[in-house]
Amino acid sequence: MEWKRVANSTWEIEPHDGMLVPGRIYASAALFEKAMSDRASQQVINVAHFPGIVEASMAMPDIHWGYGFPIGGVAATDIADGGVVSPGGVGFDICCGVRLLGSSFQLADWEARRDRIMAELDRRIPRGLGKGAIAGRALLSDVLERGAAAAVAVGLGGPDDLQRCEELGTSSGADPGAISDRALRRGGTQLGSLGAGNHFLEVQLVDRVFDSKAATAFGLAEGMVCVMIHCGSRGLGHQTCTDQLQVMGPAMARHQITVPDRQLACVPVDSAEGRRYLGAMGAAANFAWANRHILAHETRLAFGRAFQISRERTGMHPIYDVAHNLAKIEAHEVAGSIRNLCVHRKGATRAFGPGHPDLPRDLAEVGQPVLVPGSMGTASWVLRGTERNPAFSSAAHGAGRVMSRKGAKKHQTGASVQEELESAGIAVRPGSVTLLSEEAPYAYKDVDEVVDACEAANLGEKVARLVPLGVVKG
Amino acid sequence: MRNNQHMRYEVISHTADTGIIAYGVTPEELFENTAWGMFDLMFDLAQLTPVHDVPVMATGDGVEDLLVNWLSELLFHAENLDLALCYFTVDRLEEGGVQGSAGGVPVDDVVLRGPPIKAVTYHELSVTENPDGWWARLIFDV
Repeated sequence: MEWKRVANSTWEIEPHDGMLVPGRIYASAALFEKAMSDRASQQVINVAHFPGIVEASMAMPDIHWGYGFPIGGVAATDIADGGVVSPGGVGFDICCGVRLLGSSFQLADWEARRDRIMAELDRRIPRGLGKGAIAGRALLSDVLERGAAAAVAVGLGGPDDLQRCEELGTSSGADPGAISDRALRRGGTQLGSLGAGNHFLEVQLVDRVFDSKAATAFGLAEGMVCVMIHCGSRGLGHQTCTDQLQVMGPAMARHQITVPDRQLACVPVDSAEGRRYLGAMGAAANFAWANRHILAHETRLAFGRAFQISRERTGMHPIYDVAHNLAKIEAHEVAGSIRNLCVHRKGATRAFGPGHPDLPRDLAEVGQPVLVPGSMGTASWVLRGTERNPAFSSAAHGAGRVMSRKGAKKHQTGASVQEELESAGIAVRPGSVTLLSEEAPYAYKDVDEVVDACEAANLGEKVARLVPLGVVKG
Repeated sequence: MRNNQHMRYEVISHTADTGIIAYGVTPEELFENTAWGMFDLMFDLAQLTPVHDVPVMATGDGVEDLLVNWLSELLFHAENLDLALCYFTVDRLEEGGVQGSAGGVPVDDVVLRGPPIKAVTYHELSVTENPDGWWARLIFDV
């Protein structure tokens, strides 16, 4: 059985050897070729074996080889039809995602205070291993219950911030009691920290606006200095997924489920184990919403300090906060009827179109902001959700890796990557200079190409392109 | 598979994450060397001398589960105690359980040379015995 191009930006493989639905990749010809260069396409096929999966096992244009699910994978299962939930379809970094802040600053402001801003961010943003966190452990239990709202309740940020956050920064169905003592011990002291790897805080400039109506609604304008924050649920989320996977194996046998890859372990959503997982996932997601919220608040303080003004006068406001590693219960139309689905997005962004009832009123007309960070040193994008999105309202989550970490390390040293970025006018404050080589632009696909493919497949429409000014890396 | 009796592990190329193939003459040595390989991806272990010890126990059905749970246990202890683990010993390995210990140094005292490992996955996991001993293939989430 072979993959076939069924539309300009859509490739499919028919169900075979136990697949319940087709595999489908949204990509340009060039990106599809890259997707075929590793085992990502086989992972799309593996996910098509999920009990209760509907429509297709899908992948976004930034698809690449993950573990179990491909990165960029989207799979929806019909709960009433025995549909499953899989921790592997969410990943260990539960609710990893991106928050974008706008501001009242322009390029000239940045240029005048660049060194002070970077010094403040360098000093205030905990990152790497064992370097502490902004919030105390006292906030933890309320955060697991209420997410970002718990941080607002103690004066970190304001209530308005929550309006521009997926699920208002609080996961419905969170069950803090499902978080193990080990997860609390492992990650409980990390609230308000970036982590490392591909996580970052980046100061950016809105380089070009493509849709002025949507940009205005979002709060973006050409020439605006912005800050993008990429991180997740830290050790608490990693341990929660580890704990839940240990439960899933034996539970699968009880539910008589088999899958081609053990990392795709899954159970019916409507089962004790499924409900327990979704409760734990929701509580870990609450940690992640709060984590990004607290880092955003600290960023405002850093800019205020650098400009010697109050945080209110920085004009720093959330454009949006969106997850790209979650399973959500959502209503979607399947074969002409509205079904209650468990939509897994593993390295894919929710992208609700105009009129969706879950959007805040001021975004109802234009759709949800979709944040697509590029690789370090390259552009990032803000798209908007579209009507008739063919992938359960999902879009790409980034550029997508194309080179292994091992290969990237051989290509260039971290020090020379830093030198190149600084030469290009991008300030870099790495947690580890060595790690910069693994996250260098050449290790990733061209994000502009990924965004073009999203637009061609109606996964999202371009609103604004942002270019990097300064990077704080984990 | 094993072309060097002293080789503890090799790095596997993976697009998003990272992995190793680890070797051991005995299952106990395999468990020690997979632990070494996992932490050596993050820190240059040859340069470290442990100053803190932690007992490590794990259970699991079958050698593959046991290996994943042993490594997951080490990741838990490392992050919980903020240690870069650099010394591993397996005292007892039997069906269903492993007991041993690990030694490490505070992470604030060492430099990361690879991204922190978030978790051990079951993706393409294998543990095999051949005439030269044992080897295991593991993919880690980073």
